[in-house]
Amino acid sequence: MRHLLRRLGFFLLTLWAALTLNFLIPRFMPGSPVTALHDRTRGKVSAAALEQMLTSFGFRPHQNIGSQYLQYLGNMVTGHWGLSIGQTLGEPVTTLIGQALPWTLGLVGTATVLAFLLGTLIGVLAGWRRGGRLDTVLPPVFVVTSALPYFWVALLLILVFSVWTGGLLPSDFNYDNTIVPGFSPGFVGSVLQHAVLPGATLLITSIGGWILTMRNNMITVLAEDYVRMGRAKGLSNRRIMYDYAARNAILPNLSGFAMSLGFVISGAILVEYVFNYPGLGYLLYNAVQNVDYPLMQALFMLFTVAVLAAVLVCDLATLWLDPRARAKG
Amino acid sequence: MAMNTPVRRPGGGLWRALRGSRKATAGAVILLLFAVMAAFPGLFTSVRDANALDFAPRLGPSTRHLLGTTALGQDIWSQLVYGTRQSLVIALVAGFLATVLSVLVGVSAAYLGGLLDDLLSMLINVVLVIPAFPLIIILAKYAGRGSLTVMLTVLVVTGWSYGANQMRAQALSLRNRDFLEAARVRGERRSYVIVAEVLPTMTSLIVANFMGAALYSVLSAAGLQFLGLGDPNSASWGTMLYWAQNQQALQTGSPLWSLAPGLCVALLGASFALINHAFDEIGNPALRPVRRRGAAPAAAAPPVDSAASDAQSEDSPLLRVSGLRVAYQGARGPVEAVAGVDLTVRRGQFTAVVGESGCGKSTLLFAIAGLLSAPAAVTAGSVLFRGDNLVTMTEKQLNALRWRDYSVVMQSAMNALNPVRTIGAQYRDAMRAHGTFTAEQVRARSVEVLELVGIDPVHLRSYPHQLSGGMRQRAMIAMALLFTPDLVIMDEPTSALDVVAQRSLMVQIKELQQLLGFAVLFVTHDMSLVRHFSDQLLVMYAGQVVEAGPTRTVFDTPAHPYSRGLLEAFPSVRGPRVELRGITGSPPDLARPPHGCRFAPRCPVVEERCREWEPELYPVGEVRARCLLQAPDRRTRPLPPVEATS
Repeated sequence: MRHLLRRLGFFLLTLWAALTLNFLIPRFMPGSPVTALHDRTRGKVSAAALEQMLTSFGFRPHQNIGSQYLQYLGNMVTGHWGLSIGQTLGEPVTTLIGQALPWTLGLVGTATVLAFLLGTLIGVLAGWRRGGRLDTVLPPVFVVTSALPYFWVALLLILVFSVWTGGLLPSDFNYDNTIVPGFSPGFVGSVLQHAVLPGATLLITSIGGWILTMRNNMITVLAEDYVRMGRAKGLSNRRIMYDYAARNAILPNLSGFAMSLGFVISGAILVEYVFNYPGLGYLLYNAVQNVDYPLMQALFMLFTVAVLAAVLVCDLATLWLDPRARAKG
Repeated sequence: MAMNTPVRRPGGGLWRALRGSRKATAGAVILLLFAVMAAFPGLFTSVRDANALDFAPRLGPSTRHLLGTTALGQDIWSQLVYGTRQSLVIALVAGFLATVLSVLVGVSAAYLGGLLDDLLSMLINVVLVIPAFPLIIILAKYAGRGSLTVMLTVLVVTGWSYGANQMRAQALSLRNRDFLEAARVRGERRSYVIVAEVLPTMTSLIVANFMGAALYSVLSAAGLQFLGLGDPNSASWGTMLYWAQNQQALQTGSPLWSLAPGLCVALLGASFALINHAFDEIGNPALRPVRRRGAAPAAAAPPVDSAASDAQSEDSPLLRVSGLRVAYQGARGPVEAVAGVDLTVRRGQFTAVVGESGCGKSTLLFAIAGLLSAPAAVTAGSVLFRGDNLVTMTEKQLNALRWRDYSVVMQSAMNALNPVRTIGAQYRDAMRAHGTFTAEQVRARSVEVLELVGIDPVHLRSYPHQLSGGMRQRAMIAMALLFTPDLVIMDEPTSALDVVAQRSLMVQIKELQQLLGFAVLFVTHDMSLVRHFSDQLLVMYAGQVVEAGPTRTVFDTPAHPYSRGLLEAFPSVRGPRVELRGITGSPPDLARPPHGCRFAPRCPVVEERCREWEPELYPVGEVRARCLLQAPDRRTRPLPPVEATS
């Protein structure tokens, strides 16, 4: 119970810290959103509408900062994220995010989970056959691939599979926009086709880390008495490998998965930018380019919430998989 | 007064270990190359201002322009050369500052403890979870394009938390080590202890962290500049990538513009990652690459005594070990942990093997059970179990015998039971590995064996950590009895328990043995423990059996000075008061056993010849002892002269 309360306190604290950063950065950094907005809208929007837009995300230069802060916190938590003041002037931030979210979830979520599962499996095999071909070749290779810059891998893939092949695989946008979106085979196929290169980029750059950590965990666990005991009992290799070794070796990786989501997000931003893929990362890039404060604020909060959600899911998975953690709960 | 506490610091052989690592070498060579390029760009190109638009645009590679020119008319090669400096500076400075911050926060949290630790580790975790890259982008945007200081600050502020977490964990684990305790007792100031004792121990983690932080900085800075959030006029790889993307370099036929700087970022990143990985391997030797396990050593199939494999008669022994040798393949040649052991166990017999830690008894057990794993391997001898040689069997053949015919009980059930499976599930695994049983049969048998050792069957649903130490140990013994095997091999099954629990467990083992009739091969360092339980006693020293015979006889009239020493090392509860003398010194290094009798250096009755002549096992009444004093014929064969080995 104490443990659970601590965890809950940690979640709230992190969320609060992220929201506060969000609030402070635009107010204490050089460059005012008011002038930025005036510059952009020069004459096209009435003064009253401008005022309305500014207040929509809690920016009231005349009010005192304390009450602005409280109001801002309230707005963020209740989903009143205001209107975009960037290129998509006047659009509600929630709408913009709603459009981009499924694409990021689909692309980045799938690639990340796939990388985790596949990497873990390969790591299990490499660690199990210690000194085997897999174990000798993989570590140095993946030490290098996990250090590759996301965007460079993306550029390389574009060059090889798109430019050199004369456009075999698309490298721009999330579907062929000559097709009308809908549940037609053409559209779904186009979506999948457009996901291949960005998905592969994310997979290539993130799988190495999972392989290496899982291999190392396996090697540590294989020296444990219970693995030798499994052998002594005459269990099949499969059973020892999965139920005795891997089952224990995966536990430390679960918390690693949540922590890695920060890197995944940075990858998503760069990859979506390179491929002009209209997800949350691309949206953030555009928001930053156009000094779209409300959109930036909401996105940053959303990214933090995503990481926290992942931490929560991994906490639960650990509880489920590790009876000792349950006792602590 | 200096305390007599050995201070051991990992890191002494750091440099040697690093030079031996191919990964570290590769990383260092790349890093060095870039460092030279950053320091003396003039050596690599004759162009003085690489950003000036001096040439024709989009030229292909030629001798004049090694990598061609950009769409804006700059020489790509010289841009690369001049860009090295900024990328390297960002990596090293941001890496260094982030590491300093990690060490400061992590070590303070661990050493100050209490509320401050709670607060600091909360801070670490919060910073760790807040997504860094979006924050960097936002910060970089607000702070205005370009400034290198802003970029460095942002990278440090977001990059320290991962390291701090690791520093804190390691500092916490070091906190209660002996040598720090010693320093505290010596009355040294806390800050001095941290600087002089703690930080040196953490060298390899700190360096690994620096490499990680540098890698993170290189990639993040390049990413930022690529997105256009750096200074567009600066000379750096990230800026080149920005312009290349801006001018659609890939699509317009000058891919090198974009690929070359990206490759440089990747190479620099890889060099940091490789060195980082090498340091991980130094910190944890188990992770180092191993040579492919060769085919089983040729000596593993020794000539089998053909008479032994003849049809089993009723009194032929259950287990006969002859000439068994086990060696660990170490970095400096093989170390023989078991040096030619013979032993025989009859059906239903209780055989005890005693000796100090490190004399090879556990290795002997695992060799007999066929459970050795690399780098240990049987190099000679045979293990005949009911007439079949276990040494030459394949894993598959062994699996058919394991648990059904002989089972194993290990030292600590806490470690030997799988922590994430229930007791019942682990029993089920064992049963299902040897036949098809219905859930009902498995359950019935599991309940039966648990009741044999006096544990409530509800604990089939318990996990190992939910049982007390004694119960866990008994649960493991119960598991060993699932098939009522002929032989149960026990490796110090009681040493994790307190004296009272030890006693009752021994009584229980003996009762079960008499009830079910299995033979026991029992290893312990505590000779007094087996006094009333074992039929046969083997005393091991430095990989050899030094005395073997009926337990009673060995206890009453120990024939080997080592057995006498062991007996005197433990108080007798009822016997006459004798002075506890024990044995001075410690067992020899098995990598280079002493010449002559292995016990000679510690022997209270050592003679000159003991250092030259190797004793054999000589019969002394009912027992056999490996001591020249017991040699029937004093003209035993002398050893060949010591070979001059370096």
